[in-house]
Amino acid sequence: MTTGTLLTPSTAPAPRRRGLRSWYRRGGLASIFFALPVILVFAYFSWGPIARGLTMSWQKTNLVDPASWVGWANFEYVLQNPLLGQAALNTVWFVVLGLLIGFPLPLFLAVFISELRGTKPIYSVLSYLPVVIPPVVAILLWKVFYDASPTGVFNTILGWVGIGPLPFLNSPTMAMPSLVLESTWASAGSTVIIYLAAMASVRGELYEAAELDGAGIWRKIWSITLPQLRGVILIVLLLQIIGTTQVFAEPFLFTGGGPNNATTTILLLIFNYAFVFGDYGAASALSALLAAVLAVVSIVYFWATRRWSDA
Amino acid sequence: MRKPRTTTAPAVLTLAVAATLLVGCSTGEPAVDPDAPVTITISNKPPAERAEELAAFEARVAEFEEANPNITVEATETVWDAQTFQALLAGGELPTTLVVPFTEPQAMIARGQVADITDELAEVGLTDLLNPAALTVAQDADGAVYGVPIDAYALGLVYNRALFEAAGLDPDVPPATWDEVQEFAARITEATGVAGYSQMTTGNTGGWMFSAITYAHGGTVQSADGTESTFDDAPAREQLERLHDMRWNDQSMGSNFLYDMASISQEFAAGRIGMFVGAPANYIFATLLNGMDPAEFGMGPMPQGPDAGGTMSGGAVQVVSPDATPEQQLAAVKWFAFSLEASTNEEKAVAAAKTSFEAGLPVGLPGLSSLKDDDYQRFLGWIEEYINVPLENFAPYTETVNTIELTPEPVAKAQEVYAALDSVVQAVLTDEGADIDALLADATRNVNALLSR
Repeated sequence: MTTGTLLTPSTAPAPRRRGLRSWYRRGGLASIFFALPVILVFAYFSWGPIARGLTMSWQKTNLVDPASWVGWANFEYVLQNPLLGQAALNTVWFVVLGLLIGFPLPLFLAVFISELRGTKPIYSVLSYLPVVIPPVVAILLWKVFYDASPTGVFNTILGWVGIGPLPFLNSPTMAMPSLVLESTWASAGSTVIIYLAAMASVRGELYEAAELDGAGIWRKIWSITLPQLRGVILIVLLLQIIGTTQVFAEPFLFTGGGPNNATTTILLLIFNYAFVFGDYGAASALSALLAAVLAVVSIVYFWATRRWSDA
Repeated sequence: MRKPRTTTAPAVLTLAVAATLLVGCSTGEPAVDPDAPVTITISNKPPAERAEELAAFEARVAEFEEANPNITVEATETVWDAQTFQALLAGGELPTTLVVPFTEPQAMIARGQVADITDELAEVGLTDLLNPAALTVAQDADGAVYGVPIDAYALGLVYNRALFEAAGLDPDVPPATWDEVQEFAARITEATGVAGYSQMTTGNTGGWMFSAITYAHGGTVQSADGTESTFDDAPAREQLERLHDMRWNDQSMGSNFLYDMASISQEFAAGRIGMFVGAPANYIFATLLNGMDPAEFGMGPMPQGPDAGGTMSGGAVQVVSPDATPEQQLAAVKWFAFSLEASTNEEKAVAAAKTSFEAGLPVGLPGLSSLKDDDYQRFLGWIEEYINVPLENFAPYTETVNTIELTPEPVAKAQEVYAALDSVVQAVLTDEGADIDALLADATRNVNALLSR
């Protein structure tokens, strides 16, 4: 984004007095009308609920009578829940595992697919197919695969290579990695497509120059592809962090919070507050806290990577 | 923009509404006209796939509307679900009547989320008909009634008769103590390789089972006034140690431990579980929904610990939405009374049993009646020829269900207490080195914090 062209006095816009009329003549009113539906939809379905949720975090309500204001009581309640520490830890663990397993994989796949000739479209489609499967269907499918008895699908396959039946979801240590595995399988495809598109924009001369210098394929990837994709990678990384922090479907459907709270995440806590215990104030308070934490993380992230994101 | 045409309709409407409001205010007491036209929405309509149930349901609705010409009944498939109830309430979409499990009414009464129907019950004459012991689950401290209990039951031991036979055990003699449960489970696993005993552990069912089995060991989970946890003692410790033993030493519990009501019924119906603690309703789950052979389904009383304490009662309560108008509340209570007539009126009882029987639905499932005992026996006599549930398989259960000591579910925040206890049971089953004393101490601390909020 270039900020080089500044407005100089000789190119300053016409004085305000005439600005409104010329804005109107230039079709300003039409642009407002075009924007209005989108603004209204966002206001009703997005900003309104957010504002309502924020308001509810300072209230106590049973959804029948008018709500009463309770100040910071909900926040205190949520923060002194002994399960919160465990949930936060589990969420961070899920994010870290997700990054370890789920971040390099789409990159490798994209590099691999981009090197192919004729079969490229087939592999692109294959890698995207898991994304098309509805998340709940995918999770329930994998839940059957993860059956811990020796006759479960994965245990049978592992049995062929001599690895004993694994407990998967029934073990506090194995449950989270099992969730991450399914989550990676389900979402890697969309990231692969993004990387493939970004890689198409890398200039071919760079690769030719590197080849002339005798660079092998890995050297080319490391020195050319990755630096060129830096901007995309940084954005995808941040989006993945924000997305995986809000993981809910996997813990909910696979284990309901996991053997002994091993897979309870923050979103699951929020869900339980709202729909199992009927405490909307606490649920909103925890959501507000989570949003604040993620906002801080994003700000820190952008500040820390500001040097690398300039093209 | 042109000025809209003024009509007199809106003005008249406003006046009419204002007039009725004023009239309501001035009399001081809302005058509920029992014959005023009113529409109510009822819940739990069977879905289209269960065609016979649906037909029977609609026939009953039509009959009710005929008997009460001023009442229009709309049925919805909405059922009570912890996850959707709050949203429905917030959106004003709750049906007029709803069927909720026994654990809910006290919490809902505390939160003001159900209507007080004491007066309507008296008006319709139901208060005399109902078993007072059954009513307590839906009453508040002052005795006001907020719901009508239906489908009450006591928890017992569900077992697979075929697996018993395969293990050389007598299928008519289920284990009576927990020592026997352990022994039988080990024998089933040895003979057939499947899990001899299994237990529900997720979605608050872990805490539910834990509480019920604590009762059977002579313990309690919560103080009578609902302010303190009382499960950190010998009965709880005993049951958890035995569970640990069965899981890790005997290895008679299989390899899957994350079960809720639906998934344990599936595994059981598939013949992969020998025994588990459940309710008579599991018969419906197993045979109707999962295709189990009814002859293989057996049920016995809750096995007892050394200090026998009985078992836990459960069931469902019909409640009325807090948004219902007084006329709607009266109509709803009339519907409750009508539903009960199928047990108190011989002709209706026989007709209902016949319809269910012809539709292939279970008739005569054992349980606890919300009626007084003599009325219930009389009812059973009427429908005898239509009973298609293999009652012999339930014999060990039915012989004791009216005499075994019954303790209701914890009064305060039962679902939250259960949720906190889920992890205790899961830990014992998935972590061989689990420290039971520490788990119980932690859980007590957490639950007490919850109860004090």
